[in-house]
Amino acid sequence: MLSRVAASFYWLSRYIERSDGILRMLKINYASSQDAVREFTWEPVIRIYSGADQNLMNRLKNDSRAVLTYMVTDKTNPNSIMNMITLARENARSVQEHITRDLWQCLNDYYHTVKDPDIEQKLQKDDPISTLDVLTKQIMLYYGTAEVTMERGEGRSFMNIGKHLERAIQAIDIIDIKFGSISGNPDLLTNTTYWKHLLLSLGGYELYLKTYRAGLEAQNVMELVILNSDFPRSVIYSVNNIQVFFERLRNNSNREDYREISFQIGRLQSYIKYSSVASIQETGLHQFLTQIKRELYGIGTALNEHYFANS
Amino acid sequence: MYQSAHFNQYNAISGVWDEMYDANANIRDHYRKVIDYLAKESPDDLNKKEDLARRLFMSQGITFTVYNSGEGIEKIFPFDIIPRIITGDEWAFVEKGIKQRLTALNLFLKDVYHNQFIIKDGVVPIDVIYSCPHFLREMYKLDVPYDIYVHIAGIDLIRDEQGTFYVLEDNLRTPSGVSYMLENREITKRLFPDLLPTCNVRSVTEYPTILYKNLQSLSPRQNSNPTIVLLSPGIYNSAYFEHTTLARLMGVELVEGRDLVVHNHKVFMKTTTGLQQVDVIYRRVDDDFLDPLVFNPSSILGVAGIMSAYRKGNVAIVNAIGNGVADDKAIYSYVPDMIKYYLNEEPILKNVPTHQLRHPDELAYVFQNINKMVVKKTNESGGYGMLMGHAASEQEIEDYKKEILKDPRNFIAQPTISLSAAPCYIQGTLQPRRIDLRPYALCGPDGIEIVPGGLTRVALKEGSLVVNSSQGGGSKDTWVLA
Repeated sequence: MLSRVAASFYWLSRYIERSDGILRMLKINYASSQDAVREFTWEPVIRIYSGADQNLMNRLKNDSRAVLTYMVTDKTNPNSIMNMITLARENARSVQEHITRDLWQCLNDYYHTVKDPDIEQKLQKDDPISTLDVLTKQIMLYYGTAEVTMERGEGRSFMNIGKHLERAIQAIDIIDIKFGSISGNPDLLTNTTYWKHLLLSLGGYELYLKTYRAGLEAQNVMELVILNSDFPRSVIYSVNNIQVFFERLRNNSNREDYREISFQIGRLQSYIKYSSVASIQETGLHQFLTQIKRELYGIGTALNEHYFANS
Repeated sequence: MYQSAHFNQYNAISGVWDEMYDANANIRDHYRKVIDYLAKESPDDLNKKEDLARRLFMSQGITFTVYNSGEGIEKIFPFDIIPRIITGDEWAFVEKGIKQRLTALNLFLKDVYHNQFIIKDGVVPIDVIYSCPHFLREMYKLDVPYDIYVHIAGIDLIRDEQGTFYVLEDNLRTPSGVSYMLENREITKRLFPDLLPTCNVRSVTEYPTILYKNLQSLSPRQNSNPTIVLLSPGIYNSAYFEHTTLARLMGVELVEGRDLVVHNHKVFMKTTTGLQQVDVIYRRVDDDFLDPLVFNPSSILGVAGIMSAYRKGNVAIVNAIGNGVADDKAIYSYVPDMIKYYLNEEPILKNVPTHQLRHPDELAYVFQNINKMVVKKTNESGGYGMLMGHAASEQEIEDYKKEILKDPRNFIAQPTISLSAAPCYIQGTLQPRRIDLRPYALCGPDGIEIVPGGLTRVALKEGSLVVNSSQGGGSKDTWVLA
């Protein structure tokens, strides 16, 4: 497979996965803003996806409709859904003959749905959850189509590596910010809605209830979203999948390149696998997450160098 | 005759060959089945079909992008739902004519880059060839596989008032549009279920298979599974959709210049498992951008050193480099002479009479009759840089004349040919619009094959004679009947 094609597969998936994460975040945060007794703040969301621009923060943090527009249709926001899908589609376009026609049509439909001027109108006037659901459904369709139609080959491996790398990074960002907010506000530690929304935005609320019947506790939440390998949005689940799909790229002609990255992935996998809530707390959650994130970025860089020929 | 009002309003343009109506305003036999079928549909149904066509094009991403104020706007190449129909006899004639013409043009290219007998025998003047910017000395004495230069040709045909076919242009470099031939047919299948078999329409789906077979036969390595690639300028090229379609249908790798590298006079592509040698390149990049070491040094679309690999015979390039000398508009008028010279045959397809403005007497004649002329630049295509004498204002004509006088070699003039018209579905009624025809001919070691069909381009503006997509043209599905 051409290096450029592999890179496009990888980035296509990363952008789609990121847009999926963003849509889920927006939906849950919007829902929780309707629950809020006092003024709801969008600050953590804005901080994850747009950094710490103070002007932007002041303009948006208490205005749900403005945040939705900014995160979905605003072209000046590099992480808006509009820009994500445009980039995903550009990548898909350059590998059009490698993805199935069904998948390409799926992306096209998603793109045209986001581009539809009605979307902005609806985000402003109607129930935003319906609109966010329409968009999320497009992504579900995309994942389903990819699963059903894509050849089980190299291309799909690169897609899945990109997808899980992005998913792990997103989960880390969300956990880091949510737990980080506690240090300034210890009351949150016992605030059930706070944890409920964290779990909902990662889609792990139901699994949590089934696993821990004792109510919402920070330590259990931490265990679920980092260490539970059955939870499809946990950090360890994503890292395991990176390993599984990378394994499939093993090949006689590139042993050196393979071994180097395989080593990096294995080291990260073990690091998380042999951690416990207690050991994480000992290291400090933030330090722990920062370390994992650094390793993930390292894997991305190594792929770039050894497989995408962008060195 | 028909109940539906939208079919009664059709007024054929007087003095123009109408593909559907004969001189007595009767529907020609080969259009009858389709018209019967359409007449049963209400305008509402037809509008729905038109809408379905638009949606199919959109969701399949069959679009081209127009860049405007930094933002890409996606457009679909307008598609008219009424097919253009060619009878079996008409097609047999066209097919024979194109094969003859292409055979001569291939011989001409071989000759002009080798012994140049045609110049020495005074059939084509030397200055016309050497002043052509597409005549490349880099190709001199270079042997290409099977002496084939033009592997893929798109010959533009038009019909005059009597329905006679004329060749308007030979496209021998990187003719585009064949994906629309294929896609238009797919869309028609969706729009009019069962209509194609009822009408005995010949299939066009063989095209990618034939092309692939030809490309495979050109591989310089004795290898049962040569590496064939399609070289595209990238996703911002307006024909990118076509490149991906062809690559997909042939199952070959689509590459960009940055994916290729030349090492030791061999071309390789960069893959996730290392370098892989490339045997055949179907390139959709112009000559000038192909190799920055030999041609345009600022080009980043090509591959540095590719020309050296080509000269060594380590890679086959399709179409051959330097074909522009044969489809130059100034050379065009010598094609009938070439056919006589190389084949000792009378040309089957006629040329449009062409005035070379480098001859002072022809220049004077054209200036006197400019209202009846179409003046074109010899090295431009896509309908750019053209003067339509009958429609231009005084001022435009004066400006254009000044432009011509700067370098008359760059211009030719042809009498305005009244293109034939075919019915189009426009705003709920059938209306005649002008059309041309571009069949695609594939030339391989086993001879020339032409898929029965082609791209019919249509000037959608009322009264317009320009069919180019950049100038408001659209296209139709093109049927050749068995």
